[in-house]
Amino acid sequence: MQLTPDDSIAFAIGGLAVNWTIVNTWLIMALLTVGSVLITRNLRPDVRPGRWRTALEVIVGLIESQIAEVSHRPDRRLLYFTGTLFLFIVTSNLLTVVPGFDPPTASLSTTAALALSVLVAVPIFGIASRGVGGYLKTYLEPSPIMLPFNIIGEASRGISLAIRLYGNIMSGAVIAAILLGVAPFFFPVAMNMLGLLTGVVQAYIFAILATVYISSATSPPPGPAPDAKDPT
Amino acid sequence: MSIDWITVAAQIVNFLILVWLLKRFLYRPILDGIDAREREIAERMAEADKIRKAAEAAEAAHKAEIAALRASRAETLEAARAEAEAERDALLAETRKRLEAERAERAARRTEEAQSYSADLHRTGAEALLSLTRKALADLADETLEARIVARAANRLAEVAKDLGAAAGDSREAVALTRDPLPEPEAKALRDAFAAVLPGVTLRLATDPALSPGLTLRLGGAQVAWTVDSYLDGLGAVLEDRAGRPAGKGVTDAA
Repeated sequence: MQLTPDDSIAFAIGGLAVNWTIVNTWLIMALLTVGSVLITRNLRPDVRPGRWRTALEVIVGLIESQIAEVSHRPDRRLLYFTGTLFLFIVTSNLLTVVPGFDPPTASLSTTAALALSVLVAVPIFGIASRGVGGYLKTYLEPSPIMLPFNIIGEASRGISLAIRLYGNIMSGAVIAAILLGVAPFFFPVAMNMLGLLTGVVQAYIFAILATVYISSATSPPPGPAPDAKDPT
Repeated sequence: MSIDWITVAAQIVNFLILVWLLKRFLYRPILDGIDAREREIAERMAEADKIRKAAEAAEAAHKAEIAALRASRAETLEAARAEAEAERDALLAETRKRLEAERAERAARRTEEAQSYSADLHRTGAEALLSLTRKALADLADETLEARIVARAANRLAEVAKDLGAAAGDSREAVALTRDPLPEPEAKALRDAFAAVLPGVTLRLATDPALSPGLTLRLGGAQVAWTVDSYLDGLGAVLEDRAGRPAGKGVTDAA
């Protein structure tokens, strides 16, 4: 049984094999981009907002409010990053219901790439906020003895992000495929519905954790420090 | 479960491109739209607040204007009432004055009428009395009234001669006034009687149609009269008593 779409080669460009993970990622990118363009093309103050534009505004506003709630600091750059993470992952996960579509998030390579992106984004946002010295100093807090543990913690964050998302989505897809072979009428539908819920929850968890990690690396906001708990 | 690092690299690139694409086509338009709408809402709220404040100011000004108008109306009504009262008082005073004038005019006219009536009565009465007296004297005693008046005056001259002489002072002429010219015998008798009691004083006879029938003798500042005035006054009083009207002012009384 094939556990990841990385092994399925769609086509090759100049001897470089392009697997279905990348192709499906391109499809999701195209879907999101075209949908955004179509919805926001008539975005003028004199045009009344349609239901799609309103829905998109609600989604973006929800993401922005979640980020502001976690980081206590509204940051448009963080919105671009974690918002894109959430939209990509949730779209990928929801497309699980499309027959024959292997979600890219069911590929460990994709989840690892997203986790690596978060791992790289954390120091970038941290340095942009605190400066190089200020960011590196966070590895020595609360005491220099904690330096190796902080480094291990950073690495384990990425690994946990990647494995969590991959495991949840891949298992859902695999279970749905197995049940389709065993009981093709009722159980796959129920499992797909469950997979939709799991996909949305996992996208939310991934985006929230990324926000928490990046926010913890940036300078704390004035007032009491936010209680950034790991929801998993 | 394996990681294809080429796919990982490609997915990182894909993700970064997707971040840029969504930033370009989704977040910025949406956020700009939200910002513009929030700005517009804030502007409208500020404008509404400004309009509300202007409306409140206008309402306050309107209320002040209404209060001023009410106060002004009260003052105007009070002034109009005072003016009406003054005009009414003036009209009443004028009417009262006019009534008083009319009343005075009526009273004067009544008095004049009464006087005229009384004068008519006197004249008519005197003429009747004189006519009756003359007729009675002529029928019963074969005498004239003028002759009897002169005779009576000649008798009385002796009684009042001393007083007349004292009142005459330096005056050397006396005047005997009658309404009608005296007949010659009576005129001579009067001159003789006068010359007897007041020698040195000439007597001049004169007539005055305004006088009552009789004789009036003037000497210096003194005057003695023998006329029918008192009888006529008595006759007038009797007639007016019968008519139920007050008696008019009589003619000069007899001496």
